Amino acid sequence: MKYISVKSIMGNLAITLFLAYKSILKGNRWVPILLVLVMAFSFVNLIFTASIITGVMRTMDKQLVDAVYSNIVLNPEDDDYYIDHVSQVQKQIEQAPGVAGASTHLDSSAFFEYQWKEKQTQTDKGKSGTWKVIGINPEQEANVTTIHNQMIEGSYLTEDDRDEIVLGVEIAGGDITQTEAFLTLGGVKAGDKVRLTYPDNIQREYTVKGIFRARELQADLVAFVTQKEMASVLGRNIFYDRASQILIRSEPNIDENILIAEFRDMGIKGEIRSWSEYGGAMRSTISTFEIIGSLINGVGLIVATIVMFIVIYINVINRKRQIGIMRAIGIAQGTIIGSYLVQALFYAGSGIALGWIVVRFLLLPYFINNPLDLPIGLVSLTVQPLTMGSSTAGLILAAILAGVIPAWAIMKQSIIKVIWGT
Amino acid sequence: MIIARNLHKIYGRGLAATSALKGIDLAINSGEFVAIMGRSGSGKSTLLHLLGLLDMPTCGEIYIEDTDVLKLSERERARFRLGRLGYVFQEYSLLGELSIWENVYLPALCSTHPSDYKKRAAAMLGIVGLGKRLTHYPGEVSGGEQQRVAIARALINEPRTLLADEPTASLDVTSAKVVLELFQKLNKDLGQTIVMVTHEPEDEKYVDRVIWLEDGLIIPGSNNN
Repeated sequence: MKYISVKSIMGNLAITLFLAYKSILKGNRWVPILLVLVMAFSFVNLIFTASIITGVMRTMDKQLVDAVYSNIVLNPEDDDYYIDHVSQVQKQIEQAPGVAGASTHLDSSAFFEYQWKEKQTQTDKGKSGTWKVIGINPEQEANVTTIHNQMIEGSYLTEDDRDEIVLGVEIAGGDITQTEAFLTLGGVKAGDKVRLTYPDNIQREYTVKGIFRARELQADLVAFVTQKEMASVLGRNIFYDRASQILIRSEPNIDENILIAEFRDMGIKGEIRSWSEYGGAMRSTISTFEIIGSLINGVGLIVATIVMFIVIYINVINRKRQIGIMRAIGIAQGTIIGSYLVQALFYAGSGIALGWIVVRFLLLPYFINNPLDLPIGLVSLTVQPLTMGSSTAGLILAAILAGVIPAWAIMKQSIIKVIWGT
Repeated sequence: MIIARNLHKIYGRGLAATSALKGIDLAINSGEFVAIMGRSGSGKSTLLHLLGLLDMPTCGEIYIEDTDVLKLSERERARFRLGRLGYVFQEYSLLGELSIWENVYLPALCSTHPSDYKKRAAAMLGIVGLGKRLTHYPGEVSGGEQQRVAIARALINEPRTLLADEPTASLDVTSAKVVLELFQKLNKDLGQTIVMVTHEPEDEKYVDRVIWLEDGLIIPGSNNN
């Protein structure tokens, strides 16, 4: 009995496949071509939109790591303003496995002035503003951030520079800034002089050695001097072996949380956090992007599903008479519905495969070689397995519904009505 | 044997309701070749649709070979149509995506014993004179040939009863004669029960009996055996 039922099921499956095969092969040849193309473009559209948004988010994350926080940030403990015996702490960190580099920062803020000699009166604000200044060791810093590679004018600092400063483009101002001109120094060039007034009214004049553009607003609103210079401003003796924070770059593919746990085990004191915890405002921007991305994806999937449903639905409705004839000669309903389901799955599968080929061998290589130059940086396509999976599953589900629903609806009508339309 | 009792068929509802059959009682013996005749709108096609299980009556009973077919489930009716009834439509009713050979063997393939179905289909097409055109598609043969393919398809599972709804309506005189002679031969040689709807008076000479319908009712005296 069991054998008979298995045989019967296999027989029905064979008829289902036979009918589907003949319908695809011998039907109007434009129907499968158009259906597969519609499916392929729907799939590409879903993947492309999601991948661009993911690419934007990845770029924003990368900018935070490369230009602002590196991978891990070590700040003083709550009650302290500075990390003491910093050279010893830095050495300890650098010896930990998985660490690619560490750089100490000595931070301050200062009132910046440009072309201050041209001021007409004492109250004239001129070209000025207050920004953050970070004292760095340029060699160490190059191990943890990529700002040294993002100079758009002049050059980066060297260890012995004393009266030179490097400005973020949003401080310097000019044509390519995101902030309004009146919020910048109004177009400082490399080689120009700027005057900084530090706390306690300590004034220093610097030559602008270079201007960098990290394409990350937080980074581009910072200026760098050497740590020696900053220590001399703040008080050489006191700040000789102190730092405001240490940035730590991890080796590629090292989990930052494991490294943080390792530092704690080593007895390193302070507030140790990964870059993602410091993301703050940027995190909310990225979260917004994630939500928008999900919405666009959801809408895209619904649109693709509806388009595919309509195309397959029309195809099935156009074969209404054929379905009626098959019913009239006694072919089981399950076999007929199954044949339309197989056809729909064939169109969906072929479309998804074609779409995947377009994404994998056309779009991805193109955008890797020609990333989009957006204000936030260079953005490439980032195809995530989840996006692929959800798009594939969504389209296949749509194909199943589009194949089954109209065929099933036709089964509910009288055979005579289906054949003759009366 | 086919028995119909008090068959009614009403299309539509309320004021738009049309009564196509108004209480048909008939009995057709096994091996009989019967023609159902009548004017357009007399209900002859509706009656054949009901006997062929393609539609359901509003009320009444139908027994085919002692089976109360109206009590069968949709699935059972499909199986009954497949194995025990052959149906030839008025217009061409082949599946355009299948070759004429495939059109004929499809019902055999779907039956419970699909052995030798290709050989049987080829033989059946030989009987209707199309043995050399197996791989042709419906669009590649004439209307008369398509109708002969439809007859071969209706006969492939060796049903006891063949129902034909104006099978010669869309054929020229020569093709119509071929089809009717074929029916006569099948009836004589295989003892098949054939019920054919026709409006051609000259078809009368091929059949054993004519049942005349008028306005949804059998004309008294025309249903005598």
